Amino acid sequence: MNETPTNQASAGENAGAAPASAASDEQLMLAFSKGSSEAFSELFSRYKQPVYGFFRRRISDPAHAEELTQETFLVLLRAAARYERRALFRTYLYAIGFKILQAHRRKAAFRATFFGQSNSIPDPFKTDATESGLWVRHAVGKLDGMDREILLLREFEQLSYAEIADLLQLPVNTVRSRLFRARTALRNLLEPPAEPLAKDAPQPSAQKKERT
Amino acid sequence: MSTSTHPFTPEEIMAFLDGELTADRAQSLSTHIEQCSECQQTAESFRSTSRKTSAWVVSVPTSLAGSAIATRAERGTSKFAFAGLNEILFRKRGWIPALALAVGFFAFVVMLSNRASMRMAEAPSAVMLKRVEPLEERQYRGVDTATVGAGGGGDAGDRVLYRKPQAGLAMSRTLPDSAKQLRAQASEPHLAEPMIARTVSLSIVVKDFDASRAALDMILVRHNGYAAELNVATPQGAARALQGSLRIPAPQLVAAIAELKALGRVEAETQNGEEVTQQHADLVARLKNSRETEQRLQDVLRTRTGKVKDVLEVEEEIARVRGEIEQMEAEQQNLEHRVSFATIDLKLAEEYKAQLTSPAPSAGMQLRNAIVNGFRNASESLLGIILFFAEAGPTLLLWLAILFIPARLLWRRYQRAYATSSSSLGA
Repeated sequence: MNETPTNQASAGENAGAAPASAASDEQLMLAFSKGSSEAFSELFSRYKQPVYGFFRRRISDPAHAEELTQETFLVLLRAAARYERRALFRTYLYAIGFKILQAHRRKAAFRATFFGQSNSIPDPFKTDATESGLWVRHAVGKLDGMDREILLLREFEQLSYAEIADLLQLPVNTVRSRLFRARTALRNLLEPPAEPLAKDAPQPSAQKKERT
Repeated sequence: MSTSTHPFTPEEIMAFLDGELTADRAQSLSTHIEQCSECQQTAESFRSTSRKTSAWVVSVPTSLAGSAIATRAERGTSKFAFAGLNEILFRKRGWIPALALAVGFFAFVVMLSNRASMRMAEAPSAVMLKRVEPLEERQYRGVDTATVGAGGGGDAGDRVLYRKPQAGLAMSRTLPDSAKQLRAQASEPHLAEPMIARTVSLSIVVKDFDASRAALDMILVRHNGYAAELNVATPQGAARALQGSLRIPAPQLVAAIAELKALGRVEAETQNGEEVTQQHADLVARLKNSRETEQRLQDVLRTRTGKVKDVLEVEEEIARVRGEIEQMEAEQQNLEHRVSFATIDLKLAEEYKAQLTSPAPSAGMQLRNAIVNGFRNASESLLGIILFFAEAGPTLLLWLAILFIPARLLWRRYQRAYATSSSSLGA
């Protein structure tokens, strides 16, 4: 079944991650675990954008997102010798990224609790999203935390339901129902049928024109 | 769209679009969706949402390069200080090791404080013991014990204790003549020379235990020494061992040690020398004064006449002074004996050779013993835990009660901060 919405959603990032060689990710990872630095370079060039995107969509500070992207590849580098081909490389990589993200959130919460430091402060001058991107971001931001995480993992990281369930320690059926709920909510937020959107939510330019 | 008119729910349509439906169900849905316009609309709405979502694009910064990662990997450490601890504490359920660490630290502090308070409580008794020790030495002056295994090295449990109640007399009877001479010399110490009570501790492993035992007796005879205490253990299925306290005339100590060392391999050796010159000089001076006092009192008794009451008082005073003199004389003799006869604490252990013919306990007996030991160890461990909690429990509860409210506040604050951190989105 190739008619997945996710393929469309992350088409832009996948274009950047187009494989330069014919070898699969798993083959490259195995070659890297045997000492091939070229294999790591190839994996890095394939996945630096998706992994950075993964962090950037969840963390407001781009410097932190970059730092955590490096941390993810660093972990991959250190754990290469222990790599076993039990799942897709992509899933393995995002599992590492997700753990690092959670650790980062815990650290941020710890600092905020004990040292009064606020969480990542976004730099408005570094915002690189388009207007429509901002609109989507605001809509996604209105979703429930877990629903949002499932939606992001499905739409942008293209993980299967089973992989998401494994990552978030949830039953697959829960993942499916929550994803459905998230997508329905997002559709309503992006395409309000009759009622206007919340005041703070940015409106799509096309709809604004219609209303005026 | 209702399931009464449509055999598929919108959720299934979504799963179908995601490729997450089973093959037969996907086939049915594919056939149905071609005919049902409403389901086509539902599918299209999902596609549309996904298309819109794809507008959220993130561009990669140029600074993100593989070389930076390689450099960090070569450096071998994370850029954070205490990276290892960081990784442990901030991973999932990292609060468990953090809590264990805190509880361990707390228990350690409680144990330290308990130990300190126990030490303070014991301190006066320790001082008392130190003061009592010389008295006991005086009381048991010359009372030497000799414990010898039955049959010259019999079973460990079959020990016979020989005690010489009036050791002064007994020793003078049993010691060789040369030793008596040495003792006589020692009773007139050269005050100009320092008086040193020497103690040597030797631990020796020997190959032939019986021969070594005989050689030990010979050494004692040769150097005019004697065994103040001797203890031989011959446990079943293990090496024999001898433990004793030997007294050797001080001038012959070096030669005796050399001969003892020749018995086998020396495992440990310590030598101590306690200078008692000052102690002895004080004792002699006090003794002299007391004797003079006694003499004067006797003169008073002889020359002066008075009431019966006065006479009795003088006699009582003479008796008291006499008692003190005898006590000090005993102390002096003991001190001089310690100086003239050095002490060697000897441990002789046999190099154990397993006996082929030694009857090993049966498997059943071994199993029974193991079970008994196991239960005993388990009950002791359990008792230890109970005792620990009984001892430290109230303190722990007190601190828990004190820390509960601030900890709860901090935890709630942390939860809020974590929720904020999780809900924040990037560009």
